[in-house]
Amino acid sequence: MTPAPDPTDARLRAALAPPPPPAGLAARVLRALDAAAGGAPPRVDVAASAAGVVRVTPGTGRIDAAGARARAWAERAAEELAEYFAGERSFFTVPTDVVSLAPFHRRVLDAARAIPFGETRPYAWVARRIGAPAAVRAVGTALGRNPIPFIIPCHRVLRTDGGLGGYAFGLPLKQRLLHLEHHTPALVGCATTRILCRPGCPHLARAEESTRVVFATVRDARSVGYRPCRTCRPT
Amino acid sequence: MAVPSRPRPSADDGALLGRIAAGDRTAFTTLVDRWERRFYGVARRMLGQPSDAEDAVQRAFLRVYVKAATYRGAWPAASWLYRIVTNVCVDALRKHRLEPPADDGAVAGAAAPVRSDRRLDLAAAIARLPVEARTILVLRYAEDLPYGEIARVRGISVNTVKTQLRRATRALRRRLVEER
Repeated sequence: MTPAPDPTDARLRAALAPPPPPAGLAARVLRALDAAAGGAPPRVDVAASAAGVVRVTPGTGRIDAAGARARAWAERAAEELAEYFAGERSFFTVPTDVVSLAPFHRRVLDAARAIPFGETRPYAWVARRIGAPAAVRAVGTALGRNPIPFIIPCHRVLRTDGGLGGYAFGLPLKQRLLHLEHHTPALVGCATTRILCRPGCPHLARAEESTRVVFATVRDARSVGYRPCRTCRPT
Repeated sequence: MAVPSRPRPSADDGALLGRIAAGDRTAFTTLVDRWERRFYGVARRMLGQPSDAEDAVQRAFLRVYVKAATYRGAWPAASWLYRIVTNVCVDALRKHRLEPPADDGAVAGAAAPVRSDRRLDLAAAIARLPVEARTILVLRYAEDLPYGEIARVRGISVNTVKTQLRRATRALRRRLVEER
């Protein structure tokens, strides 16, 4: 005997009936495709000490490092930066060496580092976080002198009104980095292993594209049987 | 209730993806025309705001264009396409912490009959569900996908799909009963 139809089903179908797309959507999609085309990834020079990366500057891919350990850090940073620019990395594992910077400068850069991938914060937020709410302008200056851009994400700091603010490497690059992070997922699971990673994790690199599933939070992923990776430790 | 006519997924979608991978722009235009209603329907029901939904649809189609070569044909192209659009919407929910979706009837305002208010309540209740449960609910009730396909799209087991749907509908049903 066929069970009677559940009235909740009908109400859900009515509530979730998809509305028609707005006029001209397909044309806008095609225009967006044209706008996204082109633009080679930025090329950078990397300098490192034995403690970590010291400097990243726009350049030609040059490595500046004295000693094997420093060279290893610089090469790893160049590799991770290339993955980041390709939209395949959402975090950096390479250490940074900022001991030569003034304490205020270091605190500002530490605050910028706390901004999650794909998110932005106002200059005033950074000032509050370092306990100097009135020092918004000094915060802007310190971020402008960030010696390790991209890895220390000063591009995630915007004006309170949402304006881009400044960027030592030019506003088009800042805009491009924000766009890149907007398009790179933050948490990706592998449907075969049911392990949740951050893009850039070596475990995920081995997973085929067709097995990748994006999640909003670790909790969501757990709720459907995925477990967080012990290597990249997604949060 | 009349179901609006929209193109059904077809076996041709896989062939279109192959042509897109080879750089065929006309194939991409055809795929966009064929799938924009479905992509927009999923995005709108998951994200709520029309502007967020449109942004997600654009991102999803760009991803289809870039990743078409990775479609291997092991499962139907429709599942692969639904995977792309749900991945983009789930990531948008994480990044923007969007407001819960408002029902289309939200514009009805104070003059709306009681039934519209109930629809609004239901939409708000759906918006409060965890993201995974909401995604599965949208694929089931807005897109009418079978359990097996939802499982493939979200990379989970059929049993998990059923459990999530059961929990979600139980929570919503409780809410509907409270309204009476």
